[in-house]
Amino acid sequence: MNTDTLQKLEKLNQLCLTEAEKSTVTAFFDQQADLFSCLEQINTENIARMVHVMPILTVVREDREIKLFTRDALQESAPETHDGYWQVPRLIE
Amino acid sequence: MKLYITEQGAASANTVALDDMILTKNAPTSAGSKMLDGYQGLFDADIIGRLEAAGYTIGGKVNVGEFSIDLLGETSYYGACTNDQGNLTAAVAEVAKSDGVKAVISLDVNGMPRRAAAMAGTVFVKPTYGTVSRYGTIPVACSGETVGVMAKSTADCRQVLGHLVGHDDKDGTSLSDAECAQVKTAAAPIRKVAVLQSMVDAADDATKQRINSVCDTLKAKGVEITAVDDAIYKAASPAWNALMCAELCNNVSRYDGIKFGYRTPNYTNIDELYVNSRTEAFGLLLKTAILYGSDVLSTENYMRVYDKALRIRRVICDAFAALFAQYDAVLLPACSKTAYKSDAVGTYTVMDEALFTAPASISGLPVVVAGGVQLMGKAFSEDSLLTAAAMYE
Repeated sequence: MNTDTLQKLEKLNQLCLTEAEKSTVTAFFDQQADLFSCLEQINTENIARMVHVMPILTVVREDREIKLFTRDALQESAPETHDGYWQVPRLIE
Repeated sequence: MKLYITEQGAASANTVALDDMILTKNAPTSAGSKMLDGYQGLFDADIIGRLEAAGYTIGGKVNVGEFSIDLLGETSYYGACTNDQGNLTAAVAEVAKSDGVKAVISLDVNGMPRRAAAMAGTVFVKPTYGTVSRYGTIPVACSGETVGVMAKSTADCRQVLGHLVGHDDKDGTSLSDAECAQVKTAAAPIRKVAVLQSMVDAADDATKQRINSVCDTLKAKGVEITAVDDAIYKAASPAWNALMCAELCNNVSRYDGIKFGYRTPNYTNIDELYVNSRTEAFGLLLKTAILYGSDVLSTENYMRVYDKALRIRRVICDAFAALFAQYDAVLLPACSKTAYKSDAVGTYTVMDEALFTAPASISGLPVVVAGGVQLMGKAFSEDSLLTAAAMYE
Protein backbone atom coordinates (compact mmCIF):
# COMPACT_ATOMS: atom_id res chain seq x y z
CA MET A 1 0.00 0.00 0.00
CA ASN A 2 1.60 3.25 -1.06
CA THR A 3 0.73 6.80 -0.05
CA ASP A 4 -0.84 7.69 -3.40
CA THR A 5 -3.20 4.72 -3.38
CA LEU A 6 -4.28 5.44 0.18
CA GLN A 7 -4.88 9.07 -0.70
CA LYS A 8 -6.96 8.00 -3.69
CA LEU A 9 -9.03 5.68 -1.50
CA GLU A 10 -9.55 8.40 1.09
CA LYS A 11 -10.79 10.80 -1.57
CA LEU A 12 -13.03 8.18 -3.15
CA ASN A 13 -14.63 7.37 0.20
CA GLN A 14 -14.89 10.94 1.49
CA LEU A 15 -12.57 10.29 4.42
CA CYS A 16 -9.53 12.06 5.76
CA LEU A 17 -7.09 10.10 7.96
CA THR A 18 -4.57 11.52 10.38
CA GLU A 19 -0.90 10.62 9.83
CA ALA A 20 -1.09 8.14 12.72
CA GLU A 21 -4.22 6.53 11.25
CA LYS A 22 -2.55 6.31 7.85
CA SER A 23 0.30 4.28 9.24
CA THR A 24 -2.10 1.97 11.12
CA VAL A 25 -4.26 1.46 8.05
CA THR A 26 -1.24 0.84 5.83
CA ALA A 27 -0.04 -1.87 8.20
CA PHE A 28 -3.49 -3.47 8.07
CA PHE A 29 -3.50 -3.45 4.28
CA ASP A 30 -0.08 -5.09 4.21
CA GLN A 31 -1.22 -7.74 6.68
CA GLN A 32 -4.32 -8.51 4.61
CA ALA A 33 -2.22 -8.69 1.45
CA ASP A 34 0.01 -11.29 3.12
CA LEU A 35 -2.99 -13.31 4.30
CA PHE A 36 -4.66 -13.10 0.94
CA SER A 37 -1.51 -14.17 -0.90
CA CYS A 38 -1.89 -17.58 0.81
CA LEU A 39 -5.15 -17.98 -1.10
CA GLU A 40 -3.28 -17.86 -4.40
CA GLN A 41 -2.32 -21.49 -3.76
CA ILE A 42 -5.96 -22.55 -3.96
CA ASN A 43 -6.81 -23.31 -7.57
CA THR A 44 -10.08 -21.59 -8.43
CA GLU A 45 -9.69 -21.55 -12.19
CA ASN A 46 -12.75 -23.69 -12.92
CA ILE A 47 -14.71 -22.69 -9.85
CA ALA A 48 -17.74 -20.46 -10.36
CA ARG A 49 -18.11 -17.34 -8.25
CA MET A 50 -20.54 -17.61 -5.37
CA VAL A 51 -22.13 -14.25 -4.67
CA HIS A 52 -24.94 -15.66 -2.51
CA VAL A 53 -24.89 -18.88 -0.57
CA MET A 54 -28.61 -19.47 -1.12
CA PRO A 55 -30.55 -19.05 -4.36
CA ILE A 56 -32.21 -15.65 -4.18
CA LEU A 57 -35.19 -14.21 -5.95
CA THR A 58 -35.60 -10.67 -7.13
CA VAL A 59 -38.42 -9.14 -5.13
CA VAL A 60 -41.11 -8.02 -7.56
CA ARG A 61 -43.97 -5.85 -6.43
CA GLU A 62 -47.16 -4.86 -8.16
CA ASP A 63 -46.67 -1.78 -10.34
CA ARG A 64 -48.81 0.65 -8.40
CA GLU A 65 -48.20 3.78 -6.38
CA ILE A 66 -48.00 3.33 -2.64
CA LYS A 67 -47.23 5.98 -0.07
CA LEU A 68 -44.93 4.47 2.52
CA PHE A 69 -43.68 7.56 4.28
CA THR A 70 -44.61 11.22 4.28
CA ARG A 71 -42.03 13.87 3.43
CA ASP A 72 -42.21 15.11 7.02
CA ALA A 73 -41.48 11.64 8.39
CA LEU A 74 -38.53 11.22 6.01
CA GLN A 75 -37.12 14.57 7.06
CA GLU A 76 -37.48 14.00 10.78
CA SER A 77 -33.95 12.62 10.99
CA ALA A 78 -32.44 15.12 8.55
CA PRO A 79 -29.61 17.28 9.93
CA GLU A 80 -30.98 20.43 8.24
CA THR A 81 -34.13 21.15 6.27
CA HIS A 82 -35.78 24.26 4.89
CA ASP A 83 -39.39 24.50 3.67
CA GLY A 84 -39.60 20.75 3.07
CA TYR A 85 -36.21 20.46 1.35
CA TRP A 86 -32.97 18.96 2.56
CA GLN A 87 -30.62 21.85 3.08
CA VAL A 88 -27.06 21.60 1.76
CA PRO A 89 -24.27 24.14 1.29
CA ARG A 90 -24.20 26.17 -1.92
CA LEU A 91 -22.93 23.91 -4.74
CA ILE A 92 -22.26 26.60 -7.37
CA GLU A 93 -20.16 29.59 -6.38
CA MET B 1 -20.61 0.55 30.79
CA LYS B 2 -23.76 1.21 28.82
CA LEU B 3 -25.71 -1.98 28.14
CA TYR B 4 -28.90 -0.45 26.87
CA ILE B 5 -29.13 2.39 24.41
CA THR B 6 -32.79 2.70 25.29
CA GLU B 7 -34.81 0.66 27.73
CA GLN B 8 -38.55 0.56 27.70
CA GLY B 9 -41.28 -1.01 29.81
CA ALA B 10 -41.06 -3.35 32.75
CA ALA B 11 -39.19 -6.62 32.30
CA SER B 12 -41.18 -9.83 32.17
CA ALA B 13 -40.70 -13.47 31.25
CA ASN B 14 -41.63 -12.56 27.70
CA THR B 15 -39.34 -9.57 27.30
CA VAL B 16 -36.94 -9.67 24.38
CA ALA B 17 -34.22 -7.08 23.73
CA LEU B 18 -32.89 -6.12 20.32
CA ASP B 19 -29.37 -5.19 19.43
CA ASP B 20 -28.83 -1.71 18.08
CA MET B 21 -28.55 -2.91 14.48
CA ILE B 22 -32.29 -3.63 14.32
CA LEU B 23 -34.61 -0.79 13.32
CA THR B 24 -37.41 0.22 15.64
CA LYS B 25 -40.04 2.84 15.01
CA ASN B 26 -40.37 3.97 18.61
CA ALA B 27 -36.76 3.91 19.76
CA PRO B 28 -33.49 5.18 18.26
CA THR B 29 -31.26 2.85 16.24
CA SER B 30 -27.65 3.98 16.21
CA ALA B 31 -25.63 0.92 15.06
CA GLY B 32 -23.20 1.90 17.82
CA SER B 33 -22.01 4.79 15.67
CA LYS B 34 -21.81 8.53 16.16
CA MET B 35 -23.06 8.71 12.57
CA LEU B 36 -26.49 7.42 13.62
CA ASP B 37 -26.61 8.76 17.17
CA GLY B 38 -30.28 9.40 17.93
CA TYR B 39 -31.46 8.18 14.53
CA GLN B 40 -35.12 7.20 14.60
CA GLY B 41 -36.16 4.51 12.13
CA LEU B 42 -39.30 4.99 10.07
CA PHE B 43 -40.48 1.42 10.44
CA ASP B 44 -39.99 -1.68 12.56
CA ALA B 45 -37.87 -4.57 11.38
CA ASP B 46 -39.95 -7.52 10.18
CA ILE B 47 -38.85 -9.66 13.12
CA ILE B 48 -40.44 -7.23 15.59
CA GLY B 49 -43.88 -7.96 14.17
CA ARG B 50 -43.18 -11.68 14.48
CA LEU B 51 -42.04 -11.35 18.08
CA GLU B 52 -45.00 -9.21 19.09
CA ALA B 53 -47.43 -11.56 17.36
CA ALA B 54 -45.95 -14.36 19.46
CA GLY B 55 -46.63 -12.39 22.65
CA TYR B 56 -43.18 -10.98 23.30
CA THR B 57 -42.54 -7.45 24.50
CA ILE B 58 -39.58 -5.44 23.21
CA GLY B 59 -37.63 -4.42 26.30
CA GLY B 60 -35.08 -2.11 24.71
CA LYS B 61 -32.14 -1.64 22.41
CA VAL B 62 -28.75 -3.05 23.35
CA ASN B 63 -25.39 -1.43 22.70
CA VAL B 64 -23.19 -2.85 19.90
CA GLY B 65 -19.82 -1.93 18.43
CA GLU B 66 -19.82 0.40 15.43
CA PHE B 67 -21.86 -1.39 12.74
CA SER B 68 -21.26 -4.59 14.70
CA ILE B 69 -18.07 -5.56 12.90
CA ASP B 70 -15.77 -5.50 15.94
CA LEU B 71 -14.66 -8.06 18.51
CA LEU B 72 -17.05 -7.50 21.42
CA GLY B 73 -18.60 -4.06 21.00
CA GLU B 74 -15.43 -2.18 21.97
CA THR B 75 -15.82 0.33 19.13
CA SER B 76 -19.25 1.53 20.24
CA TYR B 77 -19.76 5.29 20.30
CA TYR B 78 -21.42 4.72 23.67
CA GLY B 79 -18.43 2.93 25.15
CA ALA B 80 -17.18 -0.61 25.59
CA CYS B 81 -18.45 -2.96 28.29
CA THR B 82 -16.23 -4.70 30.80
CA ASN B 83 -17.20 -7.30 33.37
CA ASP B 84 -16.24 -7.47 37.05
CA GLN B 85 -12.94 -9.15 36.17
CA GLY B 86 -11.97 -6.26 33.89
CA ASN B 87 -12.47 -8.36 30.77
CA LEU B 88 -14.12 -7.03 27.67
CA THR B 89 -17.66 -8.26 27.30
CA ALA B 90 -20.46 -7.52 24.87
CA ALA B 91 -23.62 -5.77 26.00
CA VAL B 92 -25.76 -8.31 24.13
CA ALA B 93 -24.33 -11.12 26.27
CA GLU B 94 -24.64 -9.22 29.56
CA VAL B 95 -28.28 -8.38 28.82
CA ALA B 96 -28.99 -11.97 27.72
CA LYS B 97 -27.55 -13.20 31.03
CA SER B 98 -29.69 -10.82 33.08
CA ASP B 99 -33.01 -11.80 34.64
CA GLY B 100 -34.83 -9.05 32.80
CA VAL B 101 -35.02 -10.66 29.37
CA LYS B 102 -35.71 -14.01 27.81
CA ALA B 103 -33.46 -13.38 24.80
CA VAL B 104 -31.55 -10.79 22.83
CA ILE B 105 -31.95 -10.68 19.06
CA SER B 106 -28.61 -9.85 17.52
CA LEU B 107 -27.33 -9.34 13.99
CA ASP B 108 -24.29 -11.54 13.38
CA VAL B 109 -22.18 -9.59 10.87
CA ASN B 110 -18.66 -10.61 11.77
CA GLY B 111 -19.13 -13.10 14.59
CA MET B 112 -19.52 -10.64 17.49
CA PRO B 113 -22.52 -12.38 19.12
CA ARG B 114 -20.82 -15.76 18.80
CA ARG B 115 -17.67 -14.54 20.54
CA ALA B 116 -19.82 -12.74 23.12
CA ALA B 117 -21.78 -15.89 23.93
CA ALA B 118 -18.62 -17.98 24.14
CA MET B 119 -16.98 -15.55 26.57
CA ALA B 120 -20.04 -14.84 28.71
CA GLY B 121 -21.34 -18.41 28.88
CA THR B 122 -24.62 -17.72 27.11
CA VAL B 123 -26.11 -19.58 24.14
CA PHE B 124 -26.33 -18.07 20.67
CA VAL B 125 -27.89 -19.56 17.58
CA LYS B 126 -26.97 -18.18 14.18
CA PRO B 127 -29.53 -19.77 11.89
CA THR B 128 -29.14 -20.76 8.26
CA TYR B 129 -28.76 -17.69 6.03
CA GLY B 130 -32.14 -16.65 4.61
CA THR B 131 -34.36 -18.25 7.24
CA VAL B 132 -34.84 -15.09 9.34
CA SER B 133 -35.80 -11.84 7.62
CA ARG B 134 -33.17 -9.10 7.52
CA TYR B 135 -35.75 -6.49 6.50
CA GLY B 136 -35.22 -3.57 8.85
CA THR B 137 -31.70 -4.41 9.94
CA ILE B 138 -28.88 -1.96 9.23
CA PRO B 139 -27.14 -3.46 6.18
CA VAL B 140 -23.41 -4.08 6.48
CA ALA B 141 -22.33 -7.32 4.80
CA CYS B 142 -25.58 -8.52 3.28
CA SER B 143 -24.35 -11.77 1.76
CA GLY B 144 -23.41 -13.24 5.12
CA GLU B 145 -25.03 -11.37 7.99
CA THR B 146 -27.77 -13.23 9.82
CA VAL B 147 -30.21 -12.37 12.59
CA GLY B 148 -29.68 -14.73 15.52
CA VAL B 149 -30.91 -15.33 19.06
CA MET B 150 -28.93 -15.16 22.29
CA ALA B 151 -30.35 -16.53 25.54
CA LYS B 152 -29.44 -18.28 28.75
CA SER B 153 -30.30 -21.73 27.43
CA THR B 154 -30.69 -23.72 24.24
CA ALA B 155 -34.37 -24.16 25.15
CA ASP B 156 -34.97 -20.39 25.15
CA CYS B 157 -33.01 -19.97 21.91
CA ARG B 158 -35.07 -22.71 20.26
CA GLN B 159 -38.34 -21.17 21.43
CA VAL B 160 -37.58 -17.62 20.28
CA LEU B 161 -35.95 -18.69 17.01
CA GLY B 162 -39.08 -20.69 16.24
CA HIS B 163 -41.06 -17.46 16.12
CA LEU B 164 -38.53 -15.61 13.96
CA VAL B 165 -38.03 -18.01 11.07
CA GLY B 166 -40.25 -17.73 8.03
CA HIS B 167 -40.38 -16.29 4.54
CA ASP B 168 -40.56 -12.52 4.17
CA ASP B 169 -41.55 -11.02 0.81
CA LYS B 170 -39.74 -7.82 1.71
CA ASP B 171 -36.35 -9.55 1.96
CA GLY B 172 -34.94 -10.70 -1.37
CA THR B 173 -32.68 -13.22 0.37
CA SER B 174 -35.52 -14.79 2.36
CA LEU B 175 -36.05 -18.49 1.72
CA SER B 176 -39.46 -20.09 1.18
CA ASP B 177 -41.70 -21.01 4.10
CA ALA B 178 -41.16 -24.69 3.30
CA GLU B 179 -37.40 -24.26 3.57
CA CYS B 180 -37.67 -22.12 6.71
CA ALA B 181 -39.92 -24.70 8.34
CA GLN B 182 -37.03 -27.18 8.26
CA VAL B 183 -35.30 -25.10 10.94
CA LYS B 184 -38.10 -26.00 13.36
CA THR B 185 -38.45 -29.61 12.26
CA ALA B 186 -37.07 -32.21 14.63
CA ALA B 187 -34.18 -33.86 12.81
CA ALA B 188 -32.00 -36.91 13.35
CA PRO B 189 -29.75 -36.60 16.41
CA ILE B 190 -26.11 -35.78 15.93
CA ARG B 191 -24.01 -38.96 16.07
CA LYS B 192 -20.75 -37.98 14.38
CA VAL B 193 -18.88 -34.75 15.05
CA ALA B 194 -15.73 -33.55 13.29
CA VAL B 195 -13.32 -31.30 15.20
CA LEU B 196 -11.50 -28.71 13.09
CA GLN B 197 -8.12 -29.47 14.56
CA SER B 198 -5.97 -26.68 13.18
CA MET B 199 -8.48 -24.15 14.49
CA VAL B 200 -8.28 -25.76 17.91
CA ASP B 201 -4.47 -25.64 17.68
CA ALA B 202 -4.67 -21.90 16.96
CA ALA B 203 -6.50 -21.27 20.25
CA ASP B 204 -5.12 -20.90 23.77
CA ASP B 205 -5.00 -23.68 26.38
CA ALA B 206 -8.20 -22.65 28.13
CA THR B 207 -10.10 -22.78 24.83
CA LYS B 208 -8.57 -26.17 23.99
CA GLN B 209 -9.73 -27.34 27.39
CA ARG B 210 -13.28 -26.24 26.58
CA ILE B 211 -13.20 -28.15 23.30
CA ASN B 212 -11.86 -31.26 25.07
CA SER B 213 -14.49 -30.99 27.75
CA VAL B 214 -17.29 -30.74 25.16
CA CYS B 215 -15.80 -33.70 23.26
CA ASP B 216 -15.72 -35.75 26.48
CA THR B 217 -19.36 -34.93 27.22
CA LEU B 218 -20.46 -35.79 23.70
CA LYS B 219 -18.45 -39.03 23.72
CA ALA B 220 -20.10 -40.00 26.99
CA LYS B 221 -23.46 -39.55 25.25
CA GLY B 222 -22.40 -41.89 22.47
CA VAL B 223 -21.34 -39.29 19.91
CA GLU B 224 -18.35 -40.24 17.74
CA ILE B 225 -15.67 -37.52 17.68
CA THR B 226 -13.04 -37.30 14.94
CA ALA B 227 -10.34 -34.68 14.38
CA VAL B 228 -10.15 -33.63 10.73
CA ASP B 229 -7.66 -31.78 8.59
CA ASP B 230 -9.17 -28.39 7.98
CA ALA B 231 -6.59 -26.33 6.11
CA ILE B 232 -9.13 -25.13 3.55
CA TYR B 233 -11.42 -23.59 6.17
CA LYS B 234 -8.65 -21.26 7.25
CA ALA B 235 -9.05 -19.59 3.86
CA ALA B 236 -12.48 -18.39 4.97
CA SER B 237 -11.07 -15.60 7.10
CA PRO B 238 -9.15 -13.54 4.51
CA ALA B 239 -11.86 -14.24 1.94
CA TRP B 240 -14.63 -13.12 4.31
CA ASN B 241 -12.68 -10.04 5.40
CA ALA B 242 -12.45 -9.02 1.74
CA LEU B 243 -16.12 -9.71 0.97
CA MET B 244 -17.41 -8.14 4.18
CA CYS B 245 -15.37 -4.97 3.69
CA ALA B 246 -16.39 -4.71 0.02
CA GLU B 247 -20.07 -4.95 0.92
CA LEU B 248 -19.66 -2.65 3.93
CA CYS B 249 -17.92 -0.02 1.81
CA ASN B 250 -20.98 0.19 -0.45
CA ASN B 251 -23.52 -0.03 2.35
CA VAL B 252 -22.07 2.80 4.41
CA SER B 253 -21.62 5.11 1.41
CA ARG B 254 -25.17 6.34 2.15
CA TYR B 255 -23.98 8.09 5.33
CA ASP B 256 -22.99 11.46 3.97
CA GLY B 257 -24.43 13.95 6.44
CA ILE B 258 -27.19 15.09 4.07
CA LYS B 259 -30.40 13.11 4.47
CA PHE B 260 -29.94 11.69 7.93
CA GLY B 261 -27.26 10.99 10.47
CA TYR B 262 -24.43 13.12 11.75
CA ARG B 263 -23.55 16.39 10.01
CA THR B 264 -20.34 18.16 10.94
CA PRO B 265 -20.56 21.80 11.97
CA ASN B 266 -17.11 22.28 10.36
CA TYR B 267 -17.60 22.93 6.67
CA THR B 268 -17.50 25.72 4.15
CA ASN B 269 -18.55 23.73 1.06
CA ILE B 270 -20.27 20.48 0.11
CA ASP B 271 -17.03 18.46 -0.15
CA GLU B 272 -15.98 19.46 3.35
CA LEU B 273 -19.44 18.58 4.59
CA TYR B 274 -19.15 15.03 3.20
CA VAL B 275 -15.55 14.43 4.27
CA ASN B 276 -15.73 16.00 7.71
CA SER B 277 -19.08 14.39 8.56
CA ARG B 278 -17.79 10.91 7.73
CA THR B 279 -14.33 11.47 9.18
CA GLU B 280 -15.64 12.81 12.49
CA ALA B 281 -18.43 10.24 12.83
CA PHE B 282 -16.69 6.98 11.90
CA GLY B 283 -14.18 5.15 14.06
CA LEU B 284 -10.84 3.80 12.84
CA LEU B 285 -11.95 0.18 12.41
CA LEU B 286 -14.88 1.23 10.26
CA LYS B 287 -12.75 3.65 8.24
CA THR B 288 -10.23 0.88 7.64
CA ALA B 289 -12.95 -1.52 6.54
CA ILE B 290 -14.35 1.10 4.14
CA LEU B 291 -10.93 1.78 2.63
CA TYR B 292 -10.03 -1.90 2.39
CA GLY B 293 -13.41 -2.70 0.81
CA SER B 294 -12.93 0.07 -1.69
CA ASP B 295 -9.43 -1.21 -2.51
CA VAL B 296 -10.75 -4.75 -2.94
CA LEU B 297 -13.29 -3.48 -5.48
CA SER B 298 -10.80 -1.31 -7.38
CA THR B 299 -9.88 -2.10 -10.97
CA GLU B 300 -6.44 -3.24 -9.83
CA ASN B 301 -7.74 -5.70 -7.24
CA TYR B 302 -11.22 -6.71 -8.34
CA MET B 303 -10.21 -9.95 -10.06
CA ARG B 304 -7.23 -10.73 -7.84
CA VAL B 305 -9.04 -10.24 -4.54
CA TYR B 306 -12.83 -9.80 -4.79
CA ASP B 307 -13.42 -12.31 -7.56
CA LYS B 308 -11.00 -14.75 -5.92
CA ALA B 309 -12.83 -14.41 -2.59
CA LEU B 310 -16.16 -15.25 -4.27
CA ARG B 311 -14.61 -18.39 -5.77
CA ILE B 312 -13.03 -19.31 -2.44
CA ARG B 313 -16.51 -19.03 -0.92
CA ARG B 314 -17.69 -21.79 -3.26
CA VAL B 315 -14.61 -23.92 -2.50
CA ILE B 316 -15.38 -23.62 1.22
CA CYS B 317 -19.09 -24.37 0.78
CA ASP B 318 -18.20 -27.43 -1.30
CA ALA B 319 -15.70 -28.53 1.35
CA PHE B 320 -18.38 -28.23 4.04
CA ALA B 321 -20.84 -30.16 1.87
CA ALA B 322 -18.28 -32.98 1.58
CA LEU B 323 -17.61 -32.86 5.31
CA PHE B 324 -21.32 -32.97 6.18
CA ALA B 325 -21.72 -36.02 3.95
CA GLN B 326 -19.57 -37.82 6.52
CA TYR B 327 -20.31 -35.97 9.74
CA ASP B 328 -23.43 -34.49 11.34
CA ALA B 329 -21.72 -31.45 12.84
CA VAL B 330 -18.41 -29.65 13.18
CA LEU B 331 -16.90 -28.44 16.44
CA LEU B 332 -14.54 -25.47 16.57
CA PRO B 333 -13.62 -22.62 18.94
CA ALA B 334 -15.52 -19.33 18.75
CA CYS B 335 -12.45 -17.30 19.67
CA SER B 336 -8.75 -17.90 20.35
CA LYS B 337 -9.16 -16.92 24.01
CA THR B 338 -11.73 -17.37 26.74
CA ALA B 339 -11.36 -13.74 27.85
CA TYR B 340 -9.90 -10.49 26.55
CA LYS B 341 -8.61 -7.74 28.82
CA SER B 342 -10.02 -4.54 27.36
CA ASP B 343 -6.56 -2.97 27.05
CA ALA B 344 -5.28 -6.02 25.14
CA VAL B 345 -7.63 -5.53 22.20
CA GLY B 346 -6.11 -3.78 19.21
CA THR B 347 -7.97 -2.08 16.40
CA TYR B 348 -7.69 -5.14 14.19
CA THR B 349 -7.82 -7.97 16.73
CA VAL B 350 -11.24 -8.83 15.34
CA MET B 351 -9.76 -9.53 11.92
CA ASP B 352 -7.49 -12.19 13.47
CA GLU B 353 -10.35 -13.67 15.47
CA ALA B 354 -12.43 -13.96 12.29
CA LEU B 355 -10.42 -17.14 11.68
CA PHE B 356 -12.97 -18.93 13.88
CA THR B 357 -16.18 -17.18 12.86
CA ALA B 358 -15.62 -16.59 9.13
CA PRO B 359 -16.33 -20.20 8.04
CA ALA B 360 -19.99 -19.90 9.11
CA SER B 361 -20.29 -16.27 7.96
CA ILE B 362 -19.04 -16.96 4.46
CA SER B 363 -21.00 -20.19 4.01
CA GLY B 364 -24.28 -19.12 5.65
CA LEU B 365 -24.40 -22.35 7.63
CA PRO B 366 -26.03 -22.53 11.06
CA VAL B 367 -24.04 -22.44 14.28
CA VAL B 368 -24.93 -22.88 17.92
CA VAL B 369 -22.56 -21.43 20.48
CA ALA B 370 -22.88 -23.08 23.89
CA GLY B 371 -20.35 -24.12 26.49
CA GLY B 372 -17.98 -21.57 24.93
CA VAL B 373 -17.57 -23.43 21.61
CA GLN B 374 -19.18 -23.39 18.17
CA LEU B 375 -21.12 -26.36 16.83
CA MET B 376 -21.76 -25.90 13.16
CA GLY B 377 -24.08 -27.94 10.97
CA LYS B 378 -25.42 -28.26 7.46
CA ALA B 379 -28.20 -25.92 6.32
CA PHE B 380 -31.44 -26.21 8.34
CA SER B 381 -29.86 -28.41 11.04
CA GLU B 382 -30.59 -25.93 13.87
CA ASP B 383 -32.84 -28.37 15.72
CA SER B 384 -30.16 -31.10 15.81
CA LEU B 385 -27.47 -28.58 16.77
CA LEU B 386 -29.52 -27.19 19.65
CA THR B 387 -30.31 -30.70 20.90
CA ALA B 388 -26.63 -31.65 20.82
CA ALA B 389 -25.58 -28.36 22.43
CA ALA B 390 -28.07 -28.97 25.25
CA MET B 391 -25.84 -31.90 26.30
CA TYR B 392 -22.99 -29.57 27.28
CA GLU B 393 -24.45 -26.06 27.68
